[in-house]
Amino acid sequence: MTATPELSYVRILPEIILSICGIVVMFVEPLLPQRGSHKSLGVFSFVGTLAALIASLYQTNYPGWGWFNMIRVDEFSVFFHVLICAISAVVILASFEYLETQEIRGGEYYALILFGTVGMVLMSSAVELVLIFIALEISSIATYVLAGYRRRAATSAESSIKYFLLGSFATAFFLYGVALMFGATGSTSIYTISSALQSGQVTLGASSVPVSYSLAYVAVALMFVGLGFKVASAPFHIWTPDVYEGAPAPVVALMSTGPKAAAFAVMLRILFGAGIDTSKAWFWLVWISAALSMTLGNLGALLQSNVKRMLAYSSIAHAGYLLVAFAAVIAPNARDTGISAAIFYAAAYAAMNVGAFAVVSHFARHGERYVNFEDYAGLGKRSPILAATLSIFLLSLLGLPATGGFFAKFYVFNAAIKSDLIWLTVIGLINSAIASYYYLRLIVVMYMYEPQPGEEKLQLRAAPGLTAALVITAIITIWLGVRPAGVLDYATRGASRLLPSFQQSSNLSR
Amino acid sequence: MPNQPLPYYVNYLPVLLQIVVACLVAGGMVALSALLGKHRYSRTKMQAYECGMVGTGDARQRFSVKFYMVAMLFILFDVEAIFLIPWAVIYRKLPAAIAPALGAGPRDFSARMFGFWEMLVYIGIVLVGFFYIWKKGALDWNATTEKTDF
Amino acid sequence: MELIQYIAFAVIKIALLLFILLTAVAYIVLMERKVIARMQNRWGPNRVGPFGLLQPLADGIKFILKEDIIPDSVYKPLYIAAPMIALILSLISISIIPFGGDWYVAGYHIPLQTAAFWTGSGIQDINIGLLIILGITSLGVYGVALSGWSSNSKYSLLGSLRASAQLISYELALGLSLVGVLLLAGSLSLRQIVDSQAGSLLHWHFFGGLQFVAFFIYIMAAYAETNRIPFDLPEAETELVAGYHTEYSAMKFAMFFMAEYCNMVTVACLATLLFFGGWHSPLEGLHLPVPPIWLIISPLFWFFVKVFFFIFVYIWIRGTLPRFRYDQLMSFGWKFLLPLSIANIVVTSLVLALRS
Repeated sequence: MTATPELSYVRILPEIILSICGIVVMFVEPLLPQRGSHKSLGVFSFVGTLAALIASLYQTNYPGWGWFNMIRVDEFSVFFHVLICAISAVVILASFEYLETQEIRGGEYYALILFGTVGMVLMSSAVELVLIFIALEISSIATYVLAGYRRRAATSAESSIKYFLLGSFATAFFLYGVALMFGATGSTSIYTISSALQSGQVTLGASSVPVSYSLAYVAVALMFVGLGFKVASAPFHIWTPDVYEGAPAPVVALMSTGPKAAAFAVMLRILFGAGIDTSKAWFWLVWISAALSMTLGNLGALLQSNVKRMLAYSSIAHAGYLLVAFAAVIAPNARDTGISAAIFYAAAYAAMNVGAFAVVSHFARHGERYVNFEDYAGLGKRSPILAATLSIFLLSLLGLPATGGFFAKFYVFNAAIKSDLIWLTVIGLINSAIASYYYLRLIVVMYMYEPQPGEEKLQLRAAPGLTAALVITAIITIWLGVRPAGVLDYATRGASRLLPSFQQSSNLSR
Repeated sequence: MPNQPLPYYVNYLPVLLQIVVACLVAGGMVALSALLGKHRYSRTKMQAYECGMVGTGDARQRFSVKFYMVAMLFILFDVEAIFLIPWAVIYRKLPAAIAPALGAGPRDFSARMFGFWEMLVYIGIVLVGFFYIWKKGALDWNATTEKTDF
Repeated sequence: MELIQYIAFAVIKIALLLFILLTAVAYIVLMERKVIARMQNRWGPNRVGPFGLLQPLADGIKFILKEDIIPDSVYKPLYIAAPMIALILSLISISIIPFGGDWYVAGYHIPLQTAAFWTGSGIQDINIGLLIILGITSLGVYGVALSGWSSNSKYSLLGSLRASAQLISYELALGLSLVGVLLLAGSLSLRQIVDSQAGSLLHWHFFGGLQFVAFFIYIMAAYAETNRIPFDLPEAETELVAGYHTEYSAMKFAMFFMAEYCNMVTVACLATLLFFGGWHSPLEGLHLPVPPIWLIISPLFWFFVKVFFFIFVYIWIRGTLPRFRYDQLMSFGWKFLLPLSIANIVVTSLVLALRS
């Protein structure tokens, strides 16, 4: 089924909308008066992300291939499209107030969020390794710049430079992997790679040569390094705390969820879509990375006094939980459950983490001064509603029932047990117990400690945009904890699209 | 082997030869000048000439950020300009090539304008970037302060 | 066999070409001094030989025999390499320039271009010749940047920074101004670009292709690329002593000048090839009665007349215009030439699409 040009455009409709909005923002920004709020551009960007979200939903009517089989729209990619567009929309909502209190002006901020979103959205629907790399770069470069957006703060510059240097290093690994994969299988299209790996033959003109499996394994390992960096899984996590500490809080909300979700989507596509033989070596690589991420993340979080750093370590730990689902897929008993658990986890984690960082961004005040645990003392009295919202997010991150985090963890460990990954499950559960210490500690500080002298009276009224962001994320967090079935169903359908059984039946005509 | 067509890369052999000869010429000139010219060492003579006065300080200093800015903008726009060259080369052959896909004849208006519209979108995006840096003052060489502080 | 012949011809052609080029460079300098002198009501060099015709020779000998001072503070490897880089690059690009069709001599077809050969039915040259020339000339910024940095002198550094910024800024406009010609010719091979202008004056890209705006941009950018007045900011002697080659003496100093004049020749050749019909006669198409010998000489004659004309314009402008101020220079390149060249591309492609 060769897509007609018109349908090809529908396949990248969200990307087109986001790009146009970003370009318009960049165009209008210099025309606006220098002194003055550029909130109007933010509102415009928000509308743009919403439009992209609606466009992604519209795409469900037209599943299939586009652009010479470089793009694939199916339930899987639509799920991530919606998720990423929603993340960006909420982050933009939360940014209005933050940019005002930090005295950061600039429509470029919103344009960069939009461009970053283009990259992430494209990552989740691309099925061609070079296109994936380009999408990865689009999203990364935007976030590198965003990380340094608090221009007067040294920590922000540090964050940006660290993220940029390590990030470009990591993407170089990814690109190396792509090159080796091309060498091994003679293609950069995931589904052609898949058929080459299954048949063991590469067609070169008239003749065909056997696939070099060892080269393919090295290639996937290198790609895993590159993507592992993006999702902050151990042992590629070192950058996370420093970058998250310095970057503006709403930006951290974006880059701890959006690129992560997109990178996980790419990982799922490459690991399972390409039909790479999930041999023992592979399994142990993911297993070790998952166990390390959980343990290092949680142990590191225990020692933090800075809430942003604490959440950074927690995000490493959550990448670990997500990788448990990957390990479950590789052990062949629970493929479907594993993938859908991973997808569900990405969504739940996005809701609660964006919410948590939104509260942090509100509470940080000018120059991000109030980001330590002791600054949160007495928040329960000073601003009961904010404190309650933050508690919901923290409890969800911890994985308490009736929150999205609970079901996310439940599905992951369920899949792990189905695949007989008892030890990994045990490590994960022990880690959840450890995690309760630092999440609960923050809640204890908020409710049981007296506010520091002189700060009881601080205005903590949240602006409308931020309130909306918090309400949305809180509702989604709880909704995922009460009625996870709908999202899980959709995740399962997306998962089924990835599995090799489906690919063989699907039409791969060029 | 009469009339055996030479492979295309044979064209580059003379360029290679020319490079070698050019290196020899340049190296020869430097060597000749070093050999034939007289050499008499004197401390003052071996100082940097600068403007003829006794030099002060070192020249390895920091210099204006604008030079970096120009270099970065150059890379951006040069890459964009390079994309125009292959497009320009095939521009007149495009209508015939694209017509079947558009379901039109090669002399139809839509086929003829296809390459133009495609590149207009691209140039439009480039121009938005250009407009942005212009308005932001990145091209103003003599602005003493930054127009904007983001 | 063919290959050996080809290489033998190439070696002869290179030797001839370099000899002619370096001699031409020497005499362009003399011509410049003479012409400028006449424009300023002076005589110019007239002591060495008849009409000062031996002056370049005397200059050359002097440059070689002068003391080759290498100041103590310089970074030697790059200091020595910089003028060599500048000269080498300017000598390479000339090998891709075609000077005419082919000569049929003693049973051989010899294309008047170093990097081309006779395939038996036609001449094959490098099919991306223009790109290669652009690439090589854009490397020229290394010679300038390295000379200024390695000299460890404030004036050199400032001069080379200015020169680098200027070179890369105008390279954009230069590259974009050629796109219009490429649209018309549909090839990057210089020979095919010239062939597409065969016929008469009206087929030249300058007139028939409506590329006079592109030509204007090209010539402005090319003057800046060769650091010539009115864009000779890098060597503005009133403010920077001599710019990036302040610390150079003897032959190394001369090499920068030779590089500059070689580049002038290349630029003039390119202007001829791209916009003014290369070696095609402006009288083509009139079918004037000419002796057969003229048919052999005519391409070379017209090519050199056109190149000579452009070199003369170089000198003429030097005698006429003052120097730009640096900020004016940068904004002229970025804010005027660049948008204009983009506009030229859009208009040319639109006209082509509508006219086809």
